[in-house]
Amino acid sequence: MKVVFIEQDRCLACRNCERVCSFQGSGGFKRENTSIWVHIDMDDRTIFTLTCLQCENAACLNVCPTAAIRRDPATRAVLVDETVCIGCKMCVNACPFGCIHFEKNRRVAAKCNLCQGLPRCVMNCMSGALHYGDVNALAAIKRRKIDRTMINTTLFSRGEHRQ
Amino acid sequence: MKTRAIVPNGVVPTLCRMCDTRCAVNVHLNGGIIADITPFDGHPVNQGRMCPRGAAAIDLFYHKDRILTPLKRMPSGGFKEISLDQALDEISGRMASLKNEYGARSIGVWKGEGLGFLQQEEYARRFIHAFGSPNYFSNDSACFNGRYLGYHLVCGFWNAFPEFDQAKTILLFGTNPPMCHPPFMREFADARQKGAKLVVIDPRLNPIACYADIFAQPLPGTDGALIWGLINYLIETRNYDVDLVERFSVGFEKIAAYAKRFTPEFVERTSGIFSHVVRDIARLIVKNRPRISIFPGAGLEHHENGVNCVRALAILSCLCGNLGQACGLFRPEPLGQRSLCLYDELALPADDRPIGAERFPVLYEVRRECHSMTAMDYMLGDGAYPFKGLLIAAANPAVTHPNTRKVENALASLDLLVVSDFFLTPTARLAHYVIPAATFLEREEIHLNPKRQLVNITTRVIEVDGVRNEYFLWRDLAHRLGFGPQYFPWPDERAVNQWLLEPTGLTVEELQRHPEGYIYKPPAFGKHHYLDFPTPSGKLEFASAYLKNLGLPEIPVYTPPYHLQLGKDEFPFVLTTGARKSLFYHSRHQNIPRFRNVHPEAEMEIHPDDAAELGIANGDKVRVVSEVGELVIRVAIKHPGELRRGVVEIYHGWEQWRVNLLTYDDINDPISGFPLLKAVPVRIEKLPPD
Repeated sequence: MKVVFIEQDRCLACRNCERVCSFQGSGGFKRENTSIWVHIDMDDRTIFTLTCLQCENAACLNVCPTAAIRRDPATRAVLVDETVCIGCKMCVNACPFGCIHFEKNRRVAAKCNLCQGLPRCVMNCMSGALHYGDVNALAAIKRRKIDRTMINTTLFSRGEHRQ
Repeated sequence: MKTRAIVPNGVVPTLCRMCDTRCAVNVHLNGGIIADITPFDGHPVNQGRMCPRGAAAIDLFYHKDRILTPLKRMPSGGFKEISLDQALDEISGRMASLKNEYGARSIGVWKGEGLGFLQQEEYARRFIHAFGSPNYFSNDSACFNGRYLGYHLVCGFWNAFPEFDQAKTILLFGTNPPMCHPPFMREFADARQKGAKLVVIDPRLNPIACYADIFAQPLPGTDGALIWGLINYLIETRNYDVDLVERFSVGFEKIAAYAKRFTPEFVERTSGIFSHVVRDIARLIVKNRPRISIFPGAGLEHHENGVNCVRALAILSCLCGNLGQACGLFRPEPLGQRSLCLYDELALPADDRPIGAERFPVLYEVRRECHSMTAMDYMLGDGAYPFKGLLIAAANPAVTHPNTRKVENALASLDLLVVSDFFLTPTARLAHYVIPAATFLEREEIHLNPKRQLVNITTRVIEVDGVRNEYFLWRDLAHRLGFGPQYFPWPDERAVNQWLLEPTGLTVEELQRHPEGYIYKPPAFGKHHYLDFPTPSGKLEFASAYLKNLGLPEIPVYTPPYHLQLGKDEFPFVLTTGARKSLFYHSRHQNIPRFRNVHPEAEMEIHPDDAAELGIANGDKVRVVSEVGELVIRVAIKHPGELRRGVVEIYHGWEQWRVNLLTYDDINDPISGFPLLKAVPVRIEKLPPD
């Protein structure tokens, strides 16, 4: 299945994903309404971005007492049906990643729904940190980086340098 | 508002102009209404991505406050709606009588950032030149020109945007690309994933500094010391491009002798950057040269010592052996299209004395641009001749120009002020006539991307009843003033574009077939392309005889900033203004409601220890006082790493909280005439809670 995945070492923390995500659900850019979060730690000077991982065995979906959380048959995204949600917040408690939250205006659970297969956060990620695709593509990207490091290390050990 | 779309339903590719990055976008039309704007996939600038400003062009276009009818100011002070014909008749009548009474030079035009550069700029230049006045002003006098001049004086050219992804070390000076040049982010990320190092030098710690390998935080206005320190290191250790220096440059001995004093320890004492950090940056350059990308932001030029700082940076690039590198000093080849400017065609009267050309000759000679701060003196009656009328095209100097009070008084004292804009900005409110302006969605124009030697044409996606784009404003005024048939003969901008493209062999239709951009010539890299430079000596000018003749420093000497010379007694803090916000574009976009969710109100950013010492808490109101004026504003206490102690920051574009009430219009860079905006001495007074 396709998910939104993140190359953490490409994120420069412009926060535009947060804004357009917030807009999808609320019509505004308030950070309290986003379902993707860019965490900037000024003490450590680190940037870390996280959104729903669309778990195969989703704790939020399993714990929901009214079956308001289900899987979209088309995109396989874990969705909240706001007409069925009773606002009990069990899902917020159950999610191990903090990637589902309670929407204060509509008083229901809210999370990434992959924008029906056209995620706006990805469309607005100008650094190319966010992707929408098979998560194994992320593994491939990481392997390519390791390959490059290994090749350079090998060349270096042979006394050869590469531009 | 009544609109007409070129196709009622469908997708039209064009370029976004919500900022000057100009990303390729798709405009989705549904029932004649713009329903969505999404990224166009396949253009090299944004590669299928965009930023939230792009989609907000819908909010700009359909904004409830948009001006759709010309307005005339009544004696009571209010505005009355009038027809476009009446407005243009009256404006041209006023212009003609001012010309009769005081001469053509008593009227000027001022091109703003709201419309864009290139073609919009050339229309304005052509119009005022044909009218007979040399007085062309623009926002460039306080943004861009300083950097352009810095590079131009050394190399004779400036390619503002190198190919960062080809670099092994990237140095950013006083710039925050995730906010102001979003497409750079992809290039930085590409470069870093290939092992490049990123060095960020900025008085303010922006999130990009968390992404950087080295972050250095100089005192505002002291970047020049660091740059000279790096030059000194390269020369001392003989790690510079000797071949380039010997074959292509003049003045090396002079800079080598001057650089000697800038030891890392001296740089530390001057700029506050630790000497070991100076050495670390220098070693990175040595290790990775010539593959170094250096990008100066507006942070460098908004100082009274700005141009020399940029010149030193250009010299540093040359010493790195950066010349002809894709990631460095690469000189793009022009498309060869026609220019709308008349400088080669029509002589201006020799005694016309462009405003500011005597004070800042380099600015006028290189950029053919008059000095907008001097213009304020002329408007107030302190000039060499009367200056009575001004036509402003989407600029907002009442907010973005230094010394706001003076600007307001100057504009209000004009006999004729015409402002063409989308909204009733503080500048438009001072006007005698306000003309509705068209957004980028309502015009067809040619856009060049010199870095990639690429050309695009935008599409007139939609039209608004009663709103005509800038070409028609200049054309219709020109026809009323009698020089239209000769200088504005084209019926619409399509005809202009055909005329502009004629010598290139390209056609409008051909460009329309390439929404991904048409590469007119593949860029050629390498030092061997640079046998001759467009400088007076034909060489890289580390020392400039041209400047020396004008009585200006021959080499780009470092001058300590004003705030360090003034002493700390009366004004213990130094205010840096204009750190960019990701959603605003200078004074634009504040009226887009969702953007205000992110930036609801102006704030003065301050170090927590300074705030504690002053006894102020987050959100408290303070009065900020400079030698020029004062401003009441709320305080935002930042992380201790974000700003140095003693440094505060305020954004520059707020209509309600105008930081330019505090900035100097009369402390200027001697070469560019740039005002001191980013190192203003201030004191902060706590106010009782409201």
